[in-house]
Amino acid sequence: MTTGTGVRPAKAVVEARDVTRSFAMPAGPVVAVRDVALRIAPGDHVAICGPSGCGKSTLLHLLGCVDAPTRGTLLFEDQDVATLGDRERSRIRLRRIGFIFQRFFLLPMLTAAENVDLPQAEAGAPKEQRRQRTAELLQYVGLTARADHRPSQLSGGEMQRVAIARALANRPTLLLADEPTGELDQATGAQIAALLDRVNADGTALVIVTHDEALASRARRILTMRDGTIVGGENGS
Amino acid sequence: MNALAFAWRSLVRQPARAGLGIAGVAAVAALLFDMLLLSRGLVVSMQDLLDREGFDVRVTATASPPGTGPRLRQASRSAAALMALPEVDEAVPLGLSEVAFDAGGDVGSQQASLFAADTSRRRPWTVVEGRDLAGGGQPTGMVLLNRNLAAELGRRPGDSVTLRAFCGAGRSALPLVSLQVAGIAEFPFDDPTQFSAATTLGDAARACGEENRDEADLLLVASSESAGAENTRAAIQFLLPDLYALTNEEVVARLQQGEFSYFRQISTVLVAVTLGFSLLLITVLLTVSVNQRLGEIAALRALGFSRRRVVADVVCESALMVGIGGALALPLGMALAGWLDRILKVMPGIPAELHFFVFEPRAVVVHVALIVATAVLAALYPMQIVARLPIAATLRNEVVS
Repeated sequence: MTTGTGVRPAKAVVEARDVTRSFAMPAGPVVAVRDVALRIAPGDHVAICGPSGCGKSTLLHLLGCVDAPTRGTLLFEDQDVATLGDRERSRIRLRRIGFIFQRFFLLPMLTAAENVDLPQAEAGAPKEQRRQRTAELLQYVGLTARADHRPSQLSGGEMQRVAIARALANRPTLLLADEPTGELDQATGAQIAALLDRVNADGTALVIVTHDEALASRARRILTMRDGTIVGGENGS
Repeated sequence: MNALAFAWRSLVRQPARAGLGIAGVAAVAALLFDMLLLSRGLVVSMQDLLDREGFDVRVTATASPPGTGPRLRQASRSAAALMALPEVDEAVPLGLSEVAFDAGGDVGSQQASLFAADTSRRRPWTVVEGRDLAGGGQPTGMVLLNRNLAAELGRRPGDSVTLRAFCGAGRSALPLVSLQVAGIAEFPFDDPTQFSAATTLGDAARACGEENRDEADLLLVASSESAGAENTRAAIQFLLPDLYALTNEEVVARLQQGEFSYFRQISTVLVAVTLGFSLLLITVLLTVSVNQRLGEIAALRALGFSRRRVVADVVCESALMVGIGGALALPLGMALAGWLDRILKVMPGIPAELHFFVFEPRAVVVHVALIVATAVLAALYPMQIVARLPIAATLRNEVVS
């Protein structure tokens, strides 16, 4: 099966041009991301590393159209994100971007299958198509037998696999993962890493923010951040 | 999964909290429903009592309530004059007085209300045993007793009773009058412990020692089918401008401004209080629920759920909680209303047939409208929390916490 669109356009999936994100604080503005230039191509596999508080997650949120830059330009599939309203950005996130969180954020009152179904339903996919896609994705992450289990009945690794299936539900071109192995033991983390490799190999661009060196080492490009800037890899040294 | 189904799953996710919340809403909404029933209950019930008699216009000598002001002179002549009007189907002079029945033995006498009327087709009472009084105003020597009085005196239809009337001239000056019990009757305005009797105006005048007296406290008028109460009242007022005519609606309106206003005011205050409690209760429950799920909501937003969708989830959760609680409130409120009605009717002087809490479809409509408005208002603050939720900052905070 394919997890992505199967189409690899020549244009960048997402491109940050001298992007800065600062936050107003009582003691004065704090710059979380400073003048970052970054281009994620279709099928890319990028790891962003760096110490806590260096701006990795903020950059990931900017790339995922969850946050907007204070300065600079962010293009998603050549569209300037700053010109888009909340509704358009939500639509991009729903149909073109998948998110994986450190804490999974599965909805506890829904089964694994229902969690995977949810973004498809929000995107307006027909019921039968959703059912097929959900079954396909649960098989892809190896959880067909756990389809009717609630998150509380799953292990951490299984929950993250359901979260990956959910992120892939609408066939995104870009998958963003924020510390996807942060809550898992080493062996389970390795299984998730392997699954993410497979997702990327099937055509979905993958950007991972991680402290996990083993996970980062699987990426084709490793970017290192410090104090809001990329110091190794893309626009760094 | 649509917003309503999603809200339902969110609600039942913590069944104990949802159950307690719904129970709280049901209890407060039941009280709200009862106050809506009370706000118009007396009015509706009194209107029903007045209409049930079959007379829709009442004529008195002055604006004072019957029995408290001057009496109508030449009552039979006035009734005859009214009967000549095309708008009037029937006019019945009615006198109200107090009498003491000789109960015999050690009991002594039993005081009772005496209704004296010159009736023809309609009567301001209902005979439930024996026979009715003969029509016309002539003395017949017959009397009707209500059940309480018949039981107290130990009399049945066909038995004789002796009474002494209080006619403003003093008890001792009046002779005892003997009458035969024609039947047992129910009087619509009797309270459960009241002793009442009815006879003709002629017999009542005889009891007062004034056989030629032609007085009544009011004229009960039934409009003809085509005229309607308001036209009849206007015609009466035109014919007898010195008298005071009121339709049943006007009688009720006067009571609403006077005697019933206390209950309307108290129900208005309690409606406001219960709405306030409902609002606070639902707002607190929803706010707690939303605050516990900020991470999930931020994650849903990150996954592409629109702001409108996550706000709709909150509104639907509020609607479900209030809807279920509000629906449960209806049977609960009806049961509570029955209990409160029985308590309030113990008050002295309240007619047995008068109810404080009366079910009306209108009350359900108002209840639903108020509940819907409360659900929307209660959801405003949690909706604002969800709508303004900073996605990135919330996700970051969830990880840090």
